[in-house]
Amino acid sequence: MLTRGTLVYVSQRLVLIAFTVVAVSSLVFVGIHRLPGNAFVSERVKGAKLELLLHEYGLDRPLLVQYQEYATNALFHADLGESFVNRGLKITPLVLRELSVSAEVGGTALIVTIGLGMLLGVVAAVRQNTWVDYLLTSISVVGYSMPSFVTATFLLLVFGIWLANVTGGALEYPIGWTGTYGTLAELSVPAFALGFPFASIVARLTRASMLEVLRQDYVRTARAKGLRERVVIIRHGLRNALIPVTTILGPLVIGIVTGSVVIETIFAIPGLGKEFVESILRHDYNIVIGVFTMYAAMVGLANLAVDVAYTVIDPRIRY
Amino acid sequence: MRLPALKLGALSAIGMVLVACGGSSSGTTQSLASDQTLKFPIFGEFGTLDPGQLDAEVDSEIAQNIFNGPLRYDNNLNIIPDIATDVPTTSNGGISSDGLTYTFKLRKDVTFSNGDKVTAKDMIYSWNRAAALQGPYGSNLSAIAGYSAVTKYTKGLKPSKKADVTAKAAFNKTVEDALAANDPKVMMTGLTSPDANTVVVKLDSAAGWFLSAVTLESTTGMIVDQKVIQTNPRDWWTVPATLVGTGPFKMTQHTAKQSADFVSVPNWWGSPKPTLKAVHLDILDPSSQSTAIASFEQGKYDIVGYGGWSSQPKADILRIQQTANEKSQLLLQPKVRTTWVSFNVNPAHPAGGPFTVDKGQKAKDLRTAFALAVDKSKLQSVVCQNITCSAATGGLITKGLKGYLGDGTDPLGKFDATKAKQLLTGADPTGTLTAGLKYSYNTGSPNDDVATFLQDQWKTNLGINVGLDPHPDATAFINDRQAGKFVLARDGWQADYDHPQDWFDNLWGKMAEDSTANTSGYAPNASDQYNVLLTKADAEPLDKALPTYKQISELLSTDVVDIPLYYSVGQFLFKPYAKGAGTNNFFDHFWNEISILQH
Amino acid sequence: MGAVAVAVPEEFAGGTVVREQVSLWRDSWRRFRRNRLALAASIYLTLLIGVAVVAIFWTPYSMSHLGVTDPYAGATLAHPFGGDSLGRDIISRLMIGAQVSLIVGLGTQVLVIAVGVVVGLVAGYFRGSIDGVISLVINIFYGVPDLLLALILYVILGPGIGNIIIAISATRWMDMARLVRGQALSLREREFIEAAKASGARPHRILFGHIFPNSLGPIIVQATFGIPQAILFEAFLSFLGLGVPPPTPSWGSMAGEGLKAIRFAPHIVIVPSIALSVTLLAFNFLGDGLRDAFDPRQKR
Repeated sequence: MLTRGTLVYVSQRLVLIAFTVVAVSSLVFVGIHRLPGNAFVSERVKGAKLELLLHEYGLDRPLLVQYQEYATNALFHADLGESFVNRGLKITPLVLRELSVSAEVGGTALIVTIGLGMLLGVVAAVRQNTWVDYLLTSISVVGYSMPSFVTATFLLLVFGIWLANVTGGALEYPIGWTGTYGTLAELSVPAFALGFPFASIVARLTRASMLEVLRQDYVRTARAKGLRERVVIIRHGLRNALIPVTTILGPLVIGIVTGSVVIETIFAIPGLGKEFVESILRHDYNIVIGVFTMYAAMVGLANLAVDVAYTVIDPRIRY
Repeated sequence: MRLPALKLGALSAIGMVLVACGGSSSGTTQSLASDQTLKFPIFGEFGTLDPGQLDAEVDSEIAQNIFNGPLRYDNNLNIIPDIATDVPTTSNGGISSDGLTYTFKLRKDVTFSNGDKVTAKDMIYSWNRAAALQGPYGSNLSAIAGYSAVTKYTKGLKPSKKADVTAKAAFNKTVEDALAANDPKVMMTGLTSPDANTVVVKLDSAAGWFLSAVTLESTTGMIVDQKVIQTNPRDWWTVPATLVGTGPFKMTQHTAKQSADFVSVPNWWGSPKPTLKAVHLDILDPSSQSTAIASFEQGKYDIVGYGGWSSQPKADILRIQQTANEKSQLLLQPKVRTTWVSFNVNPAHPAGGPFTVDKGQKAKDLRTAFALAVDKSKLQSVVCQNITCSAATGGLITKGLKGYLGDGTDPLGKFDATKAKQLLTGADPTGTLTAGLKYSYNTGSPNDDVATFLQDQWKTNLGINVGLDPHPDATAFINDRQAGKFVLARDGWQADYDHPQDWFDNLWGKMAEDSTANTSGYAPNASDQYNVLLTKADAEPLDKALPTYKQISELLSTDVVDIPLYYSVGQFLFKPYAKGAGTNNFFDHFWNEISILQH
Repeated sequence: MGAVAVAVPEEFAGGTVVREQVSLWRDSWRRFRRNRLALAASIYLTLLIGVAVVAIFWTPYSMSHLGVTDPYAGATLAHPFGGDSLGRDIISRLMIGAQVSLIVGLGTQVLVIAVGVVVGLVAGYFRGSIDGVISLVINIFYGVPDLLLALILYVILGPGIGNIIIAISATRWMDMARLVRGQALSLREREFIEAAKASGARPHRILFGHIFPNSLGPIIVQATFGIPQAILFEAFLSFLGLGVPPPTPSWGSMAGEGLKAIRFAPHIVIVPSIALSVTLLAFNFLGDGLRDAFDPRQKR
């Protein structure tokens, strides 16, 4: 799998990612700085005092100079600057920390998505046309057709409030987030909520793929040989069902990244998605650029990882 | 209003007795919990905790527990001594008969949280620093002799054009170095200390609002530690080790946009001595307010609404109001904020529009028509659900503050659709003047709802289609608004201290126009009656000046400068076991008044 | 419609079997008709468009008039879907919201088609360095998560339904461009293109007169799937507070606003959410149906 071709392909992709990141961050830099507002104005900071603050932060210098300084710091010192709204707040540690939080939730969601989705898809395929199949199909339809912020809030209420009421307080999802990485209980529902719409899609794909595979001759042959049904399914059917799932893995990761914006907002998780939206609304230029750049890099790398993983899963694929 | 120090002693004694009683087991509900940690959320990172630089409510609500000044406000908003031994009055000689000299005698037992003793030198340093830095509340000190010289000098201290990254810190460092060297250019001549525990403040001219302004908690009047600030002039407050103040609490941990922790200072010099051992803040963001309320209901937080975040989602409050076992935890407390619609009345402003004063009586009739066409009580009931606001019927200064005109006394606060239509037909019979009007505002709750409401009112009651001009970027909006770019704009003010000067100097008239803060552009000339009255009133002590201030309020009403809409009401949730937690119109109860009962 | 004689096996040699010669479109229509779900979806969508058109002229109450019913009021005879947080009639707002959803959905696809088709045709037909540059641009756009790109554009352009359409289109045009590029790449080798070239047709004539019409099927299917994506996207933006500005309601902003009161008056969020779901599903089923209908490999 780690052929020369793959290595060449990977390096090409890495170059593309680097190029994308640079292009994207410069465009965002220019775009945001041209906007009329800035982070410092408040009801009390006006006129001449405002100019002094802008000057102190170097915001009144020509755009090119500002960009040069920003790029140098970012590339050579890994210093993404400081927040304009929260003075003294260094961006790089903030963004890295929030990135790890988002990765924690997103990664768990991915496991939920693929694991749960495939499981449900297999069950639905094996129990095709029974009530189990119809139930699972309906749930998955709701999953991808309802706006995710609705299903997420619904899940928060069911597990946070209703569950406690029904079990008399014995079982409860603790709403909120403790510390940097939260507790396992706090992670459970948000990760599930984030993965649920995608699990529905994976379930649908897996089910269709499994149905097709179950009809194949070699499965019949395996059955005829007398192997246990479970072994038949898992060994032969599942591996082939992985392929279509792998094709959507790229968009899946991107979907989880964008979905995290909504989930982090609803479940009050201090992650990168929430940061991004809040910083845009407050014109915290440096944070916006830092977060956006990080996302572009992350998504590029994730897609590359998926494409490489593809070669592992399907040995027929070569680059 | 000044209370002699005796009353404070009595209050704290009562406070201690109460706690002691709570300690004896008259019932398990009254004894203290073993975990004395207060937990509550705030919905935005605090901007700064440097008293010389802060102005946001959340910053202030936190910093007020870390810093003290010579005086402070009690929960009834009376000025009481803090680091000073007494409040300066004319009767005790603290204020000279000509009102130009104030003498502060400081306590001898005050220490910073790092053990440094506080003397007059620290107060002079702190006030000079605040003036030199020209932070948002620097003007609180503007009455002191030498203030304008200092601010003029530091304004000129601009870093060179070729400044690099490190230049950002240069300004603060320059100021600190100058202060350390006792450079007279950054020292106000009006501040002197005849001995180690006395500070004499000389004013340029009499200012009845001076004490109110410097008493403002957590801002420029507060005492800070020079030794500590010199080690890191700009960012000293970001690190727990150097965030040093005289208050009962100090910060131990701050993870940006996640949480902040504070612990009580052992052997604190003041009173009441803190019962809480620790305070834990979760830093969320505004879109998580409903989630935080759900967490509160689960028992994760003890309070919601502290830290300047008393504007909760309506639906949650309504639901709690109707939930039997939660209803008693809700407190609706009027805040000192008024919101109004500002007309652009100044023809020189870029906005122009049909409401400008040069168009005479017709324009005034038009403004009156727009004002009377808005049903403020409907706003209160439908938009605010009688929870988040109350109709502004007594003038622009919020109800409960000095200078409030009285319920129902403001003619502009009334709703009269017939008269409004009449005036409109008279002033603009063809409808050409009022065509294409827009109402500009910054988005967010409740501004969107209010804008929708206003648009609906003007359409229904006047037949005029006013467009909506929303601005998602609040900072840009405020900038443009203050520069006079809007014909109809949302505007408002939250009082800093209970003195009408806080409103009139900052929002209308020549002073505001000069600092680009006069949204409506009203009374830009020194000869305008508004400015004449204001100069007179600002110089007098408050009780003498009050009638003049009221006159100014009425003037704003007769000249139809703004449409008063509503006074804000804050919504707070307190767990029954959070004893001493509460709020007044201005600030939250201090943390050293709070204790956690067993629950 | 002529009759075509078909060679038949010996057993049936007694007579001729006549089979209608049908065009691709008629064939597709026949297949489509057989798909019950797709048909139901089309009926629903036609009704929806009807409601949206009616809403231009009439709604039971003004969609922006506050307090026509009590805020958070439940269903009553006068207001079958109840009132929202400001006492506005939900049915009326739902009808206007239908307009917004449809305009956003269709508007984005018009823009996506306009940009994506042109770019895709040029890239696929001319290949070489032009294709290289265009593909690079497409890959760069793909490298950016769509919500984030839309947010940045929204901030730069400002609010307004037109800007939202631009912002959403900017995140979706690449799919169309890639699709059309693929079509152009394969079609350009076909004989009828060579014939056209030989007869001296200019490139734009070939592109728009020959290649484009032959790609119409996949383009329509892609666009149909793109509509619910755009509508959902707009709902996302509205939830974050960045959607169509008030007082114009969109289903997304109604749902987002209703979320705040979900524990107190759940109907405010449930009604627009169901409307969104059903419409999204309808477009998806329609897309499925069209894709199956246009697929010449289907033997029915």
